[in-house]
Amino acid sequence: MNRALRSLAVIGVALVVFGPLGLIIYQSFLSEAFFSPTAHLSLEAYRYVLADSGFHSAFGTSLLVSLGMTLISVPLGSLLAFLLARTDLPGKKWLEPWLLVPIFLSPVVLAFGYVVAVGPVGFFSLWAKALIGRVPWNLYSLFGLVLIAGLTHVPHAFLYVSSALRSLDPAVEEAARVAGAGVWRIALTVSLPLVLPSILFSASLIFLLGFELFGLPLVLGDPAGLLVLTTYLYKLTNLLGVPSYHLMAVVALSIVALTFPLVYLQRRLLRTAGRFAVIGGKGQAFRPLPLGALRWPAVLLLVLWLAVTVLLPLVGVTLRSLVSSWGEGVKLTEVLTLDHFRELTGYPNLVRGIVNTLLIGAIGGALSVVFYAIVGLAAHRWQSRGVSFLDYLVMLPRALPGLIVGLAFLWVFLFFKPIAPLRTTLFSLWIAYTVVWLAYGLRLISASLLQVKPELEEAARVIGARQRLVYRDVTLPLIRFGLIGSWLLIFMMFVREYSTGVYLLGPGTEVIGSLIVSLWGTGAVDLISALSVIEVGLVGFILFIALRLGVRLHA
Amino acid sequence: MKIKQKALLALVFGFVCFQSLRAEAAESSGTAAAQKEGKLVIYSSTDSASVEPLLQDFKSLYPFLQVEYNDLNTTEVYNRFIAETASGSGGADLLWSSAMDLQLQLASKGHALTYASPEISGLPKWAVWQNQAYGTTFEPVSIAYNKRLLPADAVPQSHADMIRLPKEKPELFKEKIATFDPEKSGVGFLMMTQDAKVFPQFWDLAKTLGSSGAKVYTSTGAMLEKVGSGEHYLAYNIIGSYVLLRQKKDPAMGLVLPKDYTLVFSRVAFISKTARNPNAAKLFLDYILSKRGQTVMSEKSLVYSLRSDVPGNITAAGLTKELGKALKPLDVNTDILAGLEQNKRLEFMKQWQAALKR
Repeated sequence: MNRALRSLAVIGVALVVFGPLGLIIYQSFLSEAFFSPTAHLSLEAYRYVLADSGFHSAFGTSLLVSLGMTLISVPLGSLLAFLLARTDLPGKKWLEPWLLVPIFLSPVVLAFGYVVAVGPVGFFSLWAKALIGRVPWNLYSLFGLVLIAGLTHVPHAFLYVSSALRSLDPAVEEAARVAGAGVWRIALTVSLPLVLPSILFSASLIFLLGFELFGLPLVLGDPAGLLVLTTYLYKLTNLLGVPSYHLMAVVALSIVALTFPLVYLQRRLLRTAGRFAVIGGKGQAFRPLPLGALRWPAVLLLVLWLAVTVLLPLVGVTLRSLVSSWGEGVKLTEVLTLDHFRELTGYPNLVRGIVNTLLIGAIGGALSVVFYAIVGLAAHRWQSRGVSFLDYLVMLPRALPGLIVGLAFLWVFLFFKPIAPLRTTLFSLWIAYTVVWLAYGLRLISASLLQVKPELEEAARVIGARQRLVYRDVTLPLIRFGLIGSWLLIFMMFVREYSTGVYLLGPGTEVIGSLIVSLWGTGAVDLISALSVIEVGLVGFILFIALRLGVRLHA
Repeated sequence: MKIKQKALLALVFGFVCFQSLRAEAAESSGTAAAQKEGKLVIYSSTDSASVEPLLQDFKSLYPFLQVEYNDLNTTEVYNRFIAETASGSGGADLLWSSAMDLQLQLASKGHALTYASPEISGLPKWAVWQNQAYGTTFEPVSIAYNKRLLPADAVPQSHADMIRLPKEKPELFKEKIATFDPEKSGVGFLMMTQDAKVFPQFWDLAKTLGSSGAKVYTSTGAMLEKVGSGEHYLAYNIIGSYVLLRQKKDPAMGLVLPKDYTLVFSRVAFISKTARNPNAAKLFLDYILSKRGQTVMSEKSLVYSLRSDVPGNITAAGLTKELGKALKPLDVNTDILAGLEQNKRLEFMKQWQAALKR
């Protein structure tokens, strides 16, 4: 790819990122909505927010939640990735699809599943109470929130790390094994250090996601009076009666500001990216590392995590979908019913919502991966300032909370006339989703690209292949697993995404997320649960088929 | 004499005929204009499931109209509308939302079309603001409680009971009351400020909520779910229509309309001044205000109807029979905007926070 094309890709990304972000920056320096005729330049918003003690404590809580969940999810996710990708763990084929459930389940539903299962009057809590006289845990606490946020983000780290591990040359592990290292030692000193780029990428992304959490703190933090930045934003919408965009913009930018030290740190740690290239020229058959005596403890760890993170909320949601009421003093056998599923069939737009969701996830996801791959290749092996610029750039949209990003995209599609006609089509939704998950998709692809040794591309070049041919016949085929892995990831992200597109959706373009929010308004938690059970079943089925068809996350 | 009388009668008869013909002509010309528009875009906070019977019936009346119904929350209705209007790209023809203050703010800033609906004569005076903004429902603000877990003698029947009972039975009510968070919810704020206006002991009530460890929420759904499960025993200040929907499924859900006074809220509708399909919007506004629309609303959607000529329990008439003068409807007019005044608002929030602390 020549210089001009590369620059073009960087400029393209800059445009789609700075469209919405630029509007927010502009908005933060105004006295009211930027489109209001009486708006004027002012620092009032900064003065108010930065002096508000509510903002300080919310920022502190968010920081704690983010750090806590990163510290839980990254080590655990990396370990699970190693176990599933590199060892002979029994039953891994069957366990893997379950691992991904927390990714595509709406966080509000997930949180509610926990409330039904282990809330103050949850099924398991009542059993515990009957058994030992009290409920030994408190779901509504900072600790509960951090733990659940951490555990449910394990799959994010897992997907990154496992996709990188899968491309690892088994020879290095084999060498360590021959030298007498045990599996545990190989993981800690050979395999995981070699995929450090992916581990760090996932850590910084999860850290940012922590600031952006909304559903979990809304359901689990509200009863405890915990205020995080996103719920503080919610308060700002109502504080002055009418939404105060300038104040909300300042809060959003405070999170955006965090990305700079984060990306800087990550870049410093990865200065010598060449160290990580391990897909070598000589292919070698992959043999899973034998776990030996660690076999069953490893299975136990995985099953335990699955039980707490997937089974518990899923059982909660499923039970809720099958009963007319629940809780203290309710006999389960008397309230069982299939009515909620029956009622759903009469719900307007249900089928269309499900179809749209799958369309956006599958086809939209595939298109996004193509886009990410083009940008990824443009930046590949390019020693230039453009690339470091790109590193910072892609992280920015994910740092914007959903409440704001949805508004920003509405504004972009309204006030930037050339693209205005797209607003009422699914295409606008696709653009918004693609921009927001830019960092995710791109990192996945560039992490795979980093692992292709330059010698392979050089070999092709030596025999006279031009750059385009090198990419087509050498680079892309080598990272095909990375591409497919990121398609699956993006599919699930898009299935769950809602707030980004909230202002772009309309009749005909509704998705499951919008149906859930609409049902939440009337308190139809039973219908939401039934809908979520259908969603899990459907996406689970697709995952299962994909894995059967040979689409694999691991070699 | 007789002939004169007959002539007069004929004249009157003729005049009446002429008038009704003229009205019909006017109506059908409106319908014809709407037919030409062919489409209607509604932004509404009333959820799709409960609006479905209304839309079905409306479509059977005007099959030529393609209704685009956007089910949004109240903040989304507002955000989307002002941005679209400012960009000049138009959007909604009719806005229908339970955030009475936001709706009136938009209307008072000149975003509403002036249109005297022929249904005005059937509506109470307080429900119409300058022939622009129309109250469409009559929804009591209630107390929802768990019949299974809250003993009958501990069910508050009035606002005074809401202060007395938690004090008498602190163990029973500890952390068992749920209510709106006025800091995060606009509707919650509106309810509490109305309470403070009507009920002199409101701040005692707020303190009682604080001392009994009440939990505050942003959504009716979460509160009702938790009252149903017994995580809370009662929820204070819940729009009655939602409790009715819930009762259909959960027989343990109880509903109290406080006897001393019951606040009444109304979902406010107006036609956008920049509507692309104003005639279609007029038809819809007329329909939801009509006896036919209001009957469907009460019987099928379980939303309390506003017109006094609609019979039944889930109606203004039914409520008036039960509560009479205790009903305190919130007028659809710009007095409501006082709550949007920044200093007063912040002052109230401060007072609320102080009261809620134990």
